[in-house]
Amino acid sequence: MSNVDMSKQRNEVPYGTLDLLVLKTLETMGTMNGYRIARRIEQVSGDALKLSQGAIYPALIRLEQEGWIRAEWGLSETNRKVKFYSLTKAGGKQLAAEVRKWEEANALVARFLEAAP
Amino acid sequence: MSWRGRIERVLAHVRRRRLDQDLEAELEAHLEMAELDARASGLPAEEARWAARQRFGGIEQMKEEHRDRRSVQWIETAARDFRIAARTLARTPGFVAVTVLTLAIGIGATAAVFSLIRGVLLTPPPYREAARLVLIPSARTDGQQQERARPWAAAQWLEWQRSAQSIQSIAAYRWVFDFLILPDGAESFQGMVVTPEYFAVAGIEPMLGRKFAASDASPSATPVVLIGYQLWQRRFGGDPNILGQTVRINRQKAPVQIIGVMPPGVRFLPAPDVAQEPNYDENGLVDIWAPYAPSSEAEELKRPRWNIVARLAPGFQAAQAQAELTLLTEQQAQTNPDFAGFTPNVQSLTSEYNRDGERILLPLFGAAALVLLIACGNVAALLLLRGLGRQREYAVRAALGGGRAGLFRQASTECLVLALAGGTLGAGLAFGAVRTFQLIGGHAVPRLDAVTTGWPVLLFGLGLALLAALLAGLFPAWRASRLDPNEVLKGAGPKATAGRGERRLLRGVTMAQTALTLVLLAGAGLLIRTMLNIAHTASGYDTARILTMSVTSVQMKADDFHRSSLARVQALPGVEQAAYAWGVPLTGNNWPMRVIIEGQPLPASAKEATELPLRSITPGYFAMLGLPLVEGRDFRSNDDGQAPPVAIVNQAFTDRYFPGTAALGKRIWMNGPDKPANTIVGVVANGRTDDLTLHAAPEIYGSFWQYSAYSKHLLIRTKTEPLAMASAVRSALRAVNPNAAVEHIQTLDQIRDDSLASRTFAMRLLIGFAGVGCLLTLVGIYGVLSLSVASRRHEIAIRTAVGAGRGEIRSLILSDGLRLIAGGLAAGLAGALAFSRVLRSFLYEVEPNDPGTLIAVAVLFVGVALLACWAPARRATRIEPMKTLRWE
Repeated sequence: MSNVDMSKQRNEVPYGTLDLLVLKTLETMGTMNGYRIARRIEQVSGDALKLSQGAIYPALIRLEQEGWIRAEWGLSETNRKVKFYSLTKAGGKQLAAEVRKWEEANALVARFLEAAP
Repeated sequence: MSWRGRIERVLAHVRRRRLDQDLEAELEAHLEMAELDARASGLPAEEARWAARQRFGGIEQMKEEHRDRRSVQWIETAARDFRIAARTLARTPGFVAVTVLTLAIGIGATAAVFSLIRGVLLTPPPYREAARLVLIPSARTDGQQQERARPWAAAQWLEWQRSAQSIQSIAAYRWVFDFLILPDGAESFQGMVVTPEYFAVAGIEPMLGRKFAASDASPSATPVVLIGYQLWQRRFGGDPNILGQTVRINRQKAPVQIIGVMPPGVRFLPAPDVAQEPNYDENGLVDIWAPYAPSSEAEELKRPRWNIVARLAPGFQAAQAQAELTLLTEQQAQTNPDFAGFTPNVQSLTSEYNRDGERILLPLFGAAALVLLIACGNVAALLLLRGLGRQREYAVRAALGGGRAGLFRQASTECLVLALAGGTLGAGLAFGAVRTFQLIGGHAVPRLDAVTTGWPVLLFGLGLALLAALLAGLFPAWRASRLDPNEVLKGAGPKATAGRGERRLLRGVTMAQTALTLVLLAGAGLLIRTMLNIAHTASGYDTARILTMSVTSVQMKADDFHRSSLARVQALPGVEQAAYAWGVPLTGNNWPMRVIIEGQPLPASAKEATELPLRSITPGYFAMLGLPLVEGRDFRSNDDGQAPPVAIVNQAFTDRYFPGTAALGKRIWMNGPDKPANTIVGVVANGRTDDLTLHAAPEIYGSFWQYSAYSKHLLIRTKTEPLAMASAVRSALRAVNPNAAVEHIQTLDQIRDDSLASRTFAMRLLIGFAGVGCLLTLVGIYGVLSLSVASRRHEIAIRTAVGAGRGEIRSLILSDGLRLIAGGLAAGLAGALAFSRVLRSFLYEVEPNDPGTLIAVAVLFVGVALLACWAPARRATRIEPMKTLRWE
């Protein structure tokens, strides 16, 4: 999989993490369109994370296909047709599972680093 | 990955357009919102737009990733390869047209014959577990052929049914021909009289109503029938209230009640005992079934009139049934001399059903496959040449890291696209061809009316396309992937020439095509010879301007009807002569009779008596057909029931039974020695009445006024076009009897053509296939030689420069072509010798290895092939040495 474009030399979102960020954002904020999701991720992460906003769309379609998020057409603030995304029940479960996995991995790495002399 | 995700990703390929549109909409909305935000933060319009784009990142890249992530990877790759291949091919429409058409012709021919095979041979007989059904015709114990297979007596098959372990159930049946009397006139039908078990044995069920019960067959029961779907539709308009209605049948006194309707497409089981009846059509659809059960009367039980179909018991084979029934029949013959002389001959229904079809269709399928192979050869050559033309492109791609696998994939995808297009077009051609076959095929192939095209044929065509792509495309694709970019790119100009290896390969392909074409040509040649031989064989009679029709007097005294109708028809203007006859030439009609001939040794038993065909005619019949009387007299109108029985025999009869003595005045006993004998009053010349390819056999003719027939032909020699007289004749017949059935109106020439139908059909198809094969091969030869001239331009220029004349250059190229042809010719002749044998049963007065035919087709092919060489040779002589040498 070549989702991470190395040629750009930017501090990209690690692969797989973006899905987690999107799910978490929708859990916190409820229904949102693609642009707002991208902005929210940028704002929360501050300058620490440089996201090409476009990268959100391949992630969204994949999450939608898995049935974790639901998309509905609505109108943007510029009065244009745009998709609004919201978390599904399955998505909530998936998010919980992902978060648990993430925490376990973190804890493991943290223990490993602390154990070092 | 969840199942839902997987399914969605496959569906994404189908929804491609919509998904792309949705993404586009989201993207535009996104940029607008981003721009709005940027302007809100104080940026001027132009900069805000730029910033929005900047933050979004690469748009095309995102779209590509969107596509990749939402779809299945290999489908996406394959789809992309196909799009690229289609775009590349679209740049060379001429190449595509020629290739696709070539493949379509090969695939079309093969798929068309396949549809016939599927419809006729691969569709099992419409009976449940048809593989377990066997037919049990009789054979003579002395091994002699029977003119008419003797059917079985009820006493015999009743015992088989009781005692044979290998047989689960047995049904007896008989073919009948009669007329339905309906308010709007009489209509003939073919039907079956069956024992009530017939439906269970065959495993068929009525679609309306019920089958026969055992009680239906009892003499005291109300007469009942089941009718066929076609008759129900044709005469009763598919009336859903048909059950319980009664109809009248000409030879049945009481009206019969309809108790059921059978599903469409139920055909006859073969009834070899009636194969000579004028209206018998083994492949026809059954109109009516009537029940029968043998009574306990001894005479009735002994009458041999039943054909037998049986269902083998589970786990038993036909051979076991054969052994068991043979034994039972021998025992029966010992206790009852009436049953002596015949033994059962158990045959699988399926093989019997397919025999005629296999004989004609398998050779034709082989021929079509050869056409496909030839077409593949041309396509392979075209692809190779195209590959040569694109060497530089391939080399550049390879040099840029395209990879061998990628090049191979691209070249083979292009080939696949071509093949699939060819396959689809070919299946379309096949649909058309099948219609044509059904129009020209007539009786050449049994059950041709049931052949359908549709999805299976399309799928078969596409399957052939894959095969063709493999055959024609694999090697050129491999060549493309093996190119050495350094070698190719070092060369200066565009390369339109081929190396030694490719040329040798192309020559091989062309030789193979030549060989295959020769096999086809030889087959076509042999059949043409056969048809010419038949046309030049004197049949002994003249079929021109003779109208025939089968006429049956319904509900009127037959003799009165025949005499007055004949008088009326003869009086019609435009009629030269008219006669009634039972046993018209080439229809297969006659009565096989066991006869005793004066002066011949008496047979030991009635069953060993000589069997000879009897025909029945009115006076003037011979004169009308142009069959001269050699001796004696024609029948007279007073040779009737009151007069002593008479007979006319043919020359073959007197040659066999009265060589060197006079036949006139000798006697023939037709119905056993205790009945009055027929006196021979005339001898007529030989005519090939059975089959144009067979010498006349002994024949006996009786007077129509002594041997009346229920249904027979009326023959009329007309002064002008016979079919134009049909309606006048019909009115004349109806004027005598308004109920008279007048059917099967055709000319004697049509009957003659029908008798040759399978040969004509095979010949036409083979000529077509050979012609197409020939054309494709000539194109191949032309191409290879043109390429050879182009590649040797330099050499030819030097030869010309040092003084070689045009003639020498021309013969240089022509001899090159001749070598090419000769190689294929040798292989082709060998192939023709091997393959022509499959046509043996169609040939007449020509052997499958007939040297004349082989030489003729070889010479013909070399002649046209040299024409194909002419243009390249001419081009070679036009090469200007100075120009060519300076340029290179």
